[in-house]
Amino acid sequence: MHRVGIVGAGSISRVHAAAWARLPVELAGWHDVVPEAAVAAAERWGGRAFDVLEDLLAASDIVDVCTNVAAHPEPVLAAAHAGKTIVCEKPLARTVAQCEEILAVCTERQVPLFVAHVVRFFPEFEAAWRTVQAGTIGKPGMMRTVRAGGFPRMGGGAAARRYADFEQSGGVIMDVGIHDIDFHRWCMGEVERVFARGLLEAGVPECDHALLVLRFESGAIGHIEASWAHTPGRTRTHLEIAGDQGLVAWDSRDPASLSWRTRTDNMPMTRNTLQEADHPYFAELAHFLDCLDKGCEFRVTPHDALMAVKVSQAALHSIRTGQPVAIADFRD
Amino acid sequence: MAVRIGLCSLDHLHAMSYLACLAEVPDIDLVGIWDDDKKLREATAQRFNTQACASLQDLLDRNPDGVIVCSANALHREHVEAAAQLTPYILCEKPIATSAADGQAMIDVCQAAGAKLQIAFPVRFAPAVAEAKRMLDANRLGRVYSAACTNQGFNPGRWFVNREQSGGGAVIDHTVHVVDLLRWFWDTEVVEVYAEIGLGFFRPDLDIDDAGLLSFRLANGVYGTLDTSWSRPEGHHSWGNVILELVGSEGVLSVDAFRPHLDVTAGTPRRSYWHPWGRSPDHGLIDDFADMIRTGREPSISGHDGLQALRVALAAYESAQTGQPVALDHD
Repeated sequence: MHRVGIVGAGSISRVHAAAWARLPVELAGWHDVVPEAAVAAAERWGGRAFDVLEDLLAASDIVDVCTNVAAHPEPVLAAAHAGKTIVCEKPLARTVAQCEEILAVCTERQVPLFVAHVVRFFPEFEAAWRTVQAGTIGKPGMMRTVRAGGFPRMGGGAAARRYADFEQSGGVIMDVGIHDIDFHRWCMGEVERVFARGLLEAGVPECDHALLVLRFESGAIGHIEASWAHTPGRTRTHLEIAGDQGLVAWDSRDPASLSWRTRTDNMPMTRNTLQEADHPYFAELAHFLDCLDKGCEFRVTPHDALMAVKVSQAALHSIRTGQPVAIADFRD
Repeated sequence: MAVRIGLCSLDHLHAMSYLACLAEVPDIDLVGIWDDDKKLREATAQRFNTQACASLQDLLDRNPDGVIVCSANALHREHVEAAAQLTPYILCEKPIATSAADGQAMIDVCQAAGAKLQIAFPVRFAPAVAEAKRMLDANRLGRVYSAACTNQGFNPGRWFVNREQSGGGAVIDHTVHVVDLLRWFWDTEVVEVYAEIGLGFFRPDLDIDDAGLLSFRLANGVYGTLDTSWSRPEGHHSWGNVILELVGSEGVLSVDAFRPHLDVTAGTPRRSYWHPWGRSPDHGLIDDFADMIRTGREPSISGHDGLQALRVALAAYESAQTGQPVALDHD
């Protein structure tokens, strides 16, 4: 049985741990720069708390990196040098150069690397991708997605401060827009250029927002709205792909399968309940394990993860310069 | 060890959906397909990479662990009774049969042969329905007053509109799903049913009921209605629905079992339709059937459940004949 070691005991690690708990793996333990966080996670989810990263690596076959993005390269590179299979939360790293270094080391050490671009495992997005793949809408020409929520305050702790610090988080494009950038590439192929506008340098505290215009090598056009400027509560997602033979669309504001209104407050609780196996974080890790055991390529390749960061960085560069940015020539 | 499953008949529309699910559920081996239409069984067997069987006996002789019976309603009894002699697990399409006597005979034969009989009520596996069941079990709704329900659909044509083969039209086709859910929600029974039924309302050329509205009372005091009509016109964005509106002392729960979906416009001629996403209720049903075989447990939806649901549909027809509410005994 694979032994999984988790690096970083923050919020996303708990989502991963819940999914690992339902899969045929052994949770070896936890490492966090805050040792108490690793201890608390081990108590809740099992495994040991390791004060030293190398000790966790030694006890693991799979290293699952769930730290904040600025802290991805150190454990990922250490795991690669130790020859461990790697799962890394998205984005792979904060800069293109860091991503390239990680890919080079993983290739050299022949280490499998799976970057958890979970949107490819959201059943509504996966179903839309399948519709495109099946040729139902013909040749896709225009694609539009929206991912809009409030600013991630995360209870106001250290994580919230990191989101507010652009140097650490990369802002809404690197944290939110990158989901859609990856999904657009999955449906439409390689991006040729990007033009973007946003609040990057607008000086609005605890707020970020961007509108991206993509041109794909296929000739298709994409639009992405990534927002931490909307109202708090559930993130809204919208998706539509128009082809020369049809259209596929989805909106999280559509009526849900379940709606519950109590007599004491008339705020409806609405939800699209999923079958267990369709929960996206479970589905992505189940897919990862299945590919690992069968030796087949991951749905998200290391190159995909690199390109998602590259297009994100190019979009940021476009906001700063007011110019379209060609992806092929782009460097940090 | 892979679970070995055979498919008896492609009569029912659900057969194709079950085949697609069988291909998706891990560790299932589809040993063969029998249908009395040679061309159809051979084309379908080829498509799903399995054997076309020359007869039902040929299929059963391959010793599947489980057989799925998807024949026309009036043939369920013959096929289930044949399968029960050789096959330990049977999944039978709904309704269980066209008469209560046939349904009871099937249950008795399976019991005598030691075969476990499950009825295909996939809507229990729709995630929103399963969540509603959990909320009801946790008494979130308090005292439930009423259940206003629809299971509307399109007219499936073919043998479905031939009373000899189907036992009836929209009412027998669409009463049983929702009645099963209500019986399951509260471990209760329908004790009285009144029905208005329309014969050839949407399709005057067909001598079959295609409109039906039932008003019922459950043993636990909940009353409700159920629209079973084949009232979705051709070109509609969806085949139909299962929608439940439950009003209780603590609040109102609305369940729309076949949401969520993508909106797709495509095809020739071009039309707009719903494309559900996520694992289908049929997938959950097939998973459950395979799990029963692997673990040897009792069926989660029994022959008795199938029979009780059928009795309500038959009582609805009786009510429409007499113009009076019909009481159902549950000894």
